[in-house]
Amino acid sequence: VTSPFLSAVVDTLLPGDQGSPPLPTGTAAGVATKLAQVIAGPDRAVPDAVLQAIAREARGEDAFVRADAAGRIAVVRQVEAGMPGPFQALVALVLQDYYEADVVLLAMGWRVQPPQPQGHTLPPFDETLLAPVKERGRMWR
Amino acid sequence: VARLEPVDVVVVGAGLGGSAFCARLSERAPQLRIVCLERGDWVDRSTMPAYRRDWQRAAQGAWSTSPNLRLAAAETSPSADYPVDDSASPIKPLMWNGVGGSTITWAAHFPRLHPSDFKTRTLDAVGDDWPFSYFDLEPYYDLNDTAMGVAGLAGDPAYPPKRPPRMPPLAIGRMGERAARGFNALGWHWWPGDAAINTVDRDGRRACNNGGPCLMGCPIHAKASADIVYWPVALENGVTLRTRCVAQQVIVQAGRAIGVAYRDQSGETHEQPAAFTVVACNGIGTARLLLASNVGRTPDGALGRYLMFHPIAYARGMFDEELDGPRGPIGSCIYSHEFYEPRPGHPFRRGLQLQVTRENALLSQASRLQPAWGRGAHSLLREEFRHSLPVMVVAEDLPEASNRVVITKAVAADGLPEVRVEYTVSENSRRILDFGLDRATDVLGAAGAKRVARVPLAPLTGWHLLGTARMGDDPARSVTDGRGRCHAVANLVIADGSLFPTVGAVNPGATIAAVALKIGDDLAREFVG
Repeated sequence: VTSPFLSAVVDTLLPGDQGSPPLPTGTAAGVATKLAQVIAGPDRAVPDAVLQAIAREARGEDAFVRADAAGRIAVVRQVEAGMPGPFQALVALVLQDYYEADVVLLAMGWRVQPPQPQGHTLPPFDETLLAPVKERGRMWR
Repeated sequence: VARLEPVDVVVVGAGLGGSAFCARLSERAPQLRIVCLERGDWVDRSTMPAYRRDWQRAAQGAWSTSPNLRLAAAETSPSADYPVDDSASPIKPLMWNGVGGSTITWAAHFPRLHPSDFKTRTLDAVGDDWPFSYFDLEPYYDLNDTAMGVAGLAGDPAYPPKRPPRMPPLAIGRMGERAARGFNALGWHWWPGDAAINTVDRDGRRACNNGGPCLMGCPIHAKASADIVYWPVALENGVTLRTRCVAQQVIVQAGRAIGVAYRDQSGETHEQPAAFTVVACNGIGTARLLLASNVGRTPDGALGRYLMFHPIAYARGMFDEELDGPRGPIGSCIYSHEFYEPRPGHPFRRGLQLQVTRENALLSQASRLQPAWGRGAHSLLREEFRHSLPVMVVAEDLPEASNRVVITKAVAADGLPEVRVEYTVSENSRRILDFGLDRATDVLGAAGAKRVARVPLAPLTGWHLLGTARMGDDPARSVTDGRGRCHAVANLVIADGSLFPTVGAVNPGATIAAVALKIGDDLAREFVG
């Protein structure tokens, strides 16, 4: 699997956007690099099978890389329809790396630190909201 | 097989039911020799993912709420799982196997059943009455509240007056406030949820800091769980807890249980004789063990049948304003019991709860989108993340004999038969969910949602495993009496959610513990009068 092909697949799945702040592509978020590590390791079977299917459907890795965005999407959709289980597994894999990336968390308005130890702050409960409910009579039987 | 020294009581399962039972029985009858066998181990809180940068993916692997997903992740999970064949069930069973059981990964949303839930046959000609009433159980609810520590607000008109919670309610956040305004606009009931979560430092446990992912365990001890609440008491009282010991069989001779055969972590088999045997392995594990032991098993018998979940649907409202996202304890915010009790004109029997929850983590939200990839996925996530508000529809499942847990002839790695769940969402439950989704859509609209997305049935919500060894007076339709004693084997006791004849439309944790405490008292009277 060539590096440009891997990037092209990853960026088709995770194209990013131009929101504010913009979401990076999957490759820019480091996902292609991590996927390359996976397909060089013991857990390569499923992602490798999907990548090979994409290359076959596109008539070669280079052809997929040269295709425009619409052409790549069409190829990937064909593979998704043909092998939904393995394809979903590949998507799950790249989503994990993407949505753990600092740059993506920050672009989505979140923080990079895990939930603990600092936790989060919420506004205090305004009990006056309950006034109409407190006026109700017994509801239980 | 090594035959061990006989004891008075052997308990299988150190989850919520087993732990509450052990703590209560050992307190009431301290002279008893009590041994508890637990297939899993203690959870080391320092290993919980909430401190780690990869915490989001942990929820899809070793710290998933699903035993099957944990096993499939091929990682070493701290939960000692067995596979559950759930291919014949649209709702997937969730559980944790270890000391504390599923309270390790529960949301700690802590409602009680309503009084009417205990007499559905009498009041509504459906289901079966419990052998005791809400008010019989009330002292045990109170005991459990004291042990767990409850944060909440007194005065909910949906419930009989009860002892005020000892801690103020959790912050309901911007999501709770937004939903509350929607309920108020419609004139509907709502109330901040009771939670077994500290809102102040108490009993050596910290106050919740709204970290969020309670379903992966609470490393700061703010969330109550059976391992940190009941087990210290039980151990102090002298109960022996043997972890990583998998019960293989309840041994019955001449109509009496004489003990339990179990396999320890080295693979060696032991026989633990006891005057009483107690099983508390949840609605799947208990049925599996008893069916494997051929205890009270008849072709049309109740054992394994009448499995009830709480079928769950979601409506998710999208708002322009920024809401909380995954801040705050995920399951505990506010609830509405506007449609809990039956009313003329409802197109279903019994009722439902509308429960406002917090949002999922970014990865979890991204993973369930359709499409899951491409620009469309990014666009949906932009609209949703920190701007959505989920309202969960919790349906009361009714007992159906065809919904059941069965064992197969194949043997699983833990030495017990493989287990399979056969479950269909009933027409009544489907009507409840559809009605509830319409009402959830109403409230989100009243709250100002610009768009509402509906999930007709959420598969990974099978937290509540109930009814497969139900209590009752009729041995043809029940497995035990009101004291948890098996009709077929009088010294075999069940002490978990399997006992529920009906389930109401609320989370069962508070009731499971209250029932287990009562059964502990019932058995203690056998010894101490």
